[in-house]
Amino acid sequence: MSALAAAAPETRFAAGLHALRANRAAMLSLLIVAGFAVLALLAPWIAPHDPTEGDLLRRLQPPAWMEGGEAAYPLGCDALGRDILSRLIHGTRVSMSIGVAVVLAATAIGALLGLLAGYLRGGFDVAISRVVDVLLGFPYLIFAIGLMAVMGPGLANIVLVLVIKEWVMPCRVVRAETLAAREMDYVEAARALGETTAHILFREILPNILSTLLVVATFRMAAIIIIEASLSFLGLGVQPPAASWGSMIADGRQFMLDAWWVSTLPGLAILALVLAINIASQGMRDAFDPGLRA
Amino acid sequence: MNPIALAERLLQLIPVLFGISAIVFSMMALTPGDPVDVMLGDSLATPAQRAAMRQDMGLDLPMHERFLRFLGNAVQGEFGTSFHHRRPVADVIAERIPATIELTLAAMLLALAIGVPLGVLAAVRRDGWFDRLATVATLLGVSMPGFWFGILAILIFSVTLGLFPVAGRIGYSSEVPFVTGMLLVDTLVAGKPKAFLEALRHLALPATTLGLAMAALLARVTRSAMIDALRQDYIVFAEAKGLSRARIVLRHALKNALIPTVTVAAIETGTLLGGNMIVETVFGWPGLGRLVVEAIFTRNYPIVQAAVLLYAVTYVLLNLVADILYTMLNPRVRL
Amino acid sequence: MRRTWLAAVAAMALVAPAQAADLRVGTSSDIVTLDPGNHRSRVTESALLNVYDALVARTDDMKLVPELAESVTQIDATTWEAKLRRGVRFHDGSEMTAEDVKFTYDRLTRTNAMDGKTSPRQSLVGPVAETIVVDSHTVRFKLSSPWPIFRAYIPFNQIVSKAFVEKVKTDGMATQAMGTGPFKLTEWRRGDSLILERFPGYYGGSPDLLPVGPARVDRVIFRIIPEPASRVAALLAGEVDLIDELPHHAIRQIEANPRTQVLRTNGTRSFFIDLNNLKPPFNDPRVRQAANHAINRQLIIDRLLNGLAVPLATLISPDSYGYNASLKPYAHDVARARALLAEAGHPNGVDVTLDVTNAFKEQGEVVAQMLTQAGIRAKVQLWEATALSDMWKDPAKHDRQMYFRSWGDGALDPVGIFNPVLKSRDRGNFSGYSNAEVDRLLTAADTEIDVEARSRMYQDAQAIIHRETPLLYLWLPQDVYGASRRLKDWGPSPRGVVKLHDARLD
Repeated sequence: MSALAAAAPETRFAAGLHALRANRAAMLSLLIVAGFAVLALLAPWIAPHDPTEGDLLRRLQPPAWMEGGEAAYPLGCDALGRDILSRLIHGTRVSMSIGVAVVLAATAIGALLGLLAGYLRGGFDVAISRVVDVLLGFPYLIFAIGLMAVMGPGLANIVLVLVIKEWVMPCRVVRAETLAAREMDYVEAARALGETTAHILFREILPNILSTLLVVATFRMAAIIIIEASLSFLGLGVQPPAASWGSMIADGRQFMLDAWWVSTLPGLAILALVLAINIASQGMRDAFDPGLRA
Repeated sequence: MNPIALAERLLQLIPVLFGISAIVFSMMALTPGDPVDVMLGDSLATPAQRAAMRQDMGLDLPMHERFLRFLGNAVQGEFGTSFHHRRPVADVIAERIPATIELTLAAMLLALAIGVPLGVLAAVRRDGWFDRLATVATLLGVSMPGFWFGILAILIFSVTLGLFPVAGRIGYSSEVPFVTGMLLVDTLVAGKPKAFLEALRHLALPATTLGLAMAALLARVTRSAMIDALRQDYIVFAEAKGLSRARIVLRHALKNALIPTVTVAAIETGTLLGGNMIVETVFGWPGLGRLVVEAIFTRNYPIVQAAVLLYAVTYVLLNLVADILYTMLNPRVRL
Repeated sequence: MRRTWLAAVAAMALVAPAQAADLRVGTSSDIVTLDPGNHRSRVTESALLNVYDALVARTDDMKLVPELAESVTQIDATTWEAKLRRGVRFHDGSEMTAEDVKFTYDRLTRTNAMDGKTSPRQSLVGPVAETIVVDSHTVRFKLSSPWPIFRAYIPFNQIVSKAFVEKVKTDGMATQAMGTGPFKLTEWRRGDSLILERFPGYYGGSPDLLPVGPARVDRVIFRIIPEPASRVAALLAGEVDLIDELPHHAIRQIEANPRTQVLRTNGTRSFFIDLNNLKPPFNDPRVRQAANHAINRQLIIDRLLNGLAVPLATLISPDSYGYNASLKPYAHDVARARALLAEAGHPNGVDVTLDVTNAFKEQGEVVAQMLTQAGIRAKVQLWEATALSDMWKDPAKHDRQMYFRSWGDGALDPVGIFNPVLKSRDRGNFSGYSNAEVDRLLTAADTEIDVEARSRMYQDAQAIIHRETPLLYLWLPQDVYGASRRLKDWGPSPRGVVKLHDARLD
């Protein structure tokens, strides 16, 4: 790893991108993720109906291709007679923004603390490491449930709770990489040149571990979408009338026997997105991890 | 690992456990909702009766005093009385542990049984169609919410096909003498093959639901380690010597590749232990996770505090075990 | 290889079908203890009713009939006397006497009577000050103040064996059981199941509850299946014979299956929405009336609850004692609602927040939509149940506006709902409602011995409350169970308990 890491960061990143482009499964997955992102961004213009407006007379109406369905509601209606397609499209927005927001915030916090802990060592490192140990020793869902019980359900609270638990993941990785980078020639050289600590951290070390961070972040984003669904299952999800895919599955699971579409369709949506993210990040890992490239 | 290093690691447990206790305690204190209200429900209780109940539950003391008392008792292995069960917390939790351990171990074994062979084959056939397919297949498990997959599995395998039971650990007609509390072990010890099969049938769906998600991780770790191992000099040398490919893979490369897999498996066992409440709820599995979630919702603080502490100790110890395993399996590392 | 695997699966599927005389009940949560005096959990009470009998029982149509007592009579305003049935035996064969009854009541009423702890059921015994043994089969209860509903609360107090409790202590009672009920304990597998077996020496139960005699199934098994979807699946798969808390939308599924059926009974839990009477906009009775006119109760009942509920005009069940039958639910009338709003100075409508717990999210969302259509633009906010009730406890101290909730009363006596919910500043009065005349009527009814006069007091109070509408009345849902068609001679009780003495399987 040392030889490659010491090379100019751009080269390493570029080589990784090149390898990634050759991985057709990963590229296809990225395309799928991008497709979902477009859905999320354009939700209000794409969705055929208001996702919150329901008609009890259409309660549990089947999808268009089944008996009793109608073309205006292609994927059927939920328990309150709301259009499932529109709710799925709007749900993309909620689920993805939870994933993106948590990962961005957690990565920013975790990377900063990890860089500082790994580079400065000493008391700061010990303190951060203990906090990381404490948070890692706390079972994830129990932590999230407990804190959600304190704060109450809601989109902002979910993001906050998950960030509080989530930042330790990138922090641990970045700290380890920084510890290693600290001893490397390019960092020593920068130090000898009298560069500021900030310059060394953000201009020298960070670019070198960016690809690793990217891989961790995408994997965690997949995990977070699933965790949000679990919280919804336990009744600690987003506030109505908003709906995430997780809360749609959770609300619809009681109709699994006689109205399978209510819960199965959002389940398939989660499966498609999370699987795509996972395959893409696995591809990135293969592409960016120099140890495996060769 | 030498005794001093071991002692050092165990000492590090102390601040971690203190920190976790403080977090759980403040969480419980900040959560809105009065345990006395939950306990007495829509009752006709008079203010005096409510005050007596509050005192009985130890909630009349100020926060800091309760925390200090909790710490003092916890050090002596004393965790107080469960609000609703009105029995010692240690007993209530101990009753639920075997079921959780059994489910976790079964899920982990299943994950290893799926993940390792897939990882090895994927590495050998690297970048081929099998590698791609195996990647996608293992990632399926980790890409579905457990409760969704669990309910689907129940509808398909229990309701439609009638192959596996929906809920519980074993039938009601099987009497299994208590040895370990893990029914797969106890039925064998008692020499009851029928009861063993029954317990296995009950375990099948929940263990699969939990294990599939873990298989992806183990397959990935095995695959990377295997690719790494196959590139080592001695493998190249063995190939040059004309040893058969299968022999090289199984005898030489796998032995080394398994080190990270086993390490990760040990650590992830801790994650599984603390993360199976969803599966336990769906399959009516009488484990600890369900108990803790119910306890959070009913403000049964003593149970939550003790259980989280238990999870944390287990997690740290499993990490220690992972490190020890790593040293033992890989003589080049000395901690 | 493949064939052997399939064979193994097939063989496993055939292992141990349930025995014919095992009645298996899928239930949503586990009991918390086996001690009938040391809990406040309805699930626990329900299961323990099969193990422990009380002096008086309730029939499925909620009549009180003697059980362990032959009679319970009132001697004077504060004295009651119970004559005990002879020849009743505990599961260990010892006879139940007046000493056991006194011991049971002392254990419930006296502070610190349970090895230093006080029973959480103390409040269910009312003002019983002393229990006196008159002779081996006669007990007298001295009350510190008159309590007209003494008899109605007796079924909550299950009789334990003095000798047994003294032997195993309160700690032992949590995990062991020794009652006079139709079933005795086989095993309690914590979190998994409670296994009971027939007690052959059972005295037969109340002579008013036919058939009299020992239980008719060999064993009863309560299996814990918390997830509703799984519980329904277990019934459809034939894994259990009876499930509680059947979700309303699963009814069609259960009815369509030739092997299963739906059983229902009028519930005792009223649903309503607290309106904060102390703060705008609901401090104006016209806005409260507008809200009541905005809801199409029948549409919700038909569509969401499968028709299994009655719209409410007052807070109690139509089956309840003291029900005022002359009151009619507020009619669904959007125009009238808008007019009332305008009259109250809100021609452009008002914005409010409706607090709902997770379990009733769906119903809350529909109610909010209907309110919005009538100009009361309601935004649903979800909460965890425990957190929400804590927040609403003191209506003077918060700015919450609407709270979707329910209050149950298993005794079907208005005292259980009206006193806490509508009396000024009482502990369940979240709306902040206060009316001197209502308070006077409710207080007088507390101690009124004349059954007719007491009923009239409650009816008068309901008329006032109906006019002032401190709340938004919703509905009273039926309790719904799913059962195998093999299950005979069992019907659900409005009390929400599952007593299986008479039940049998074809």
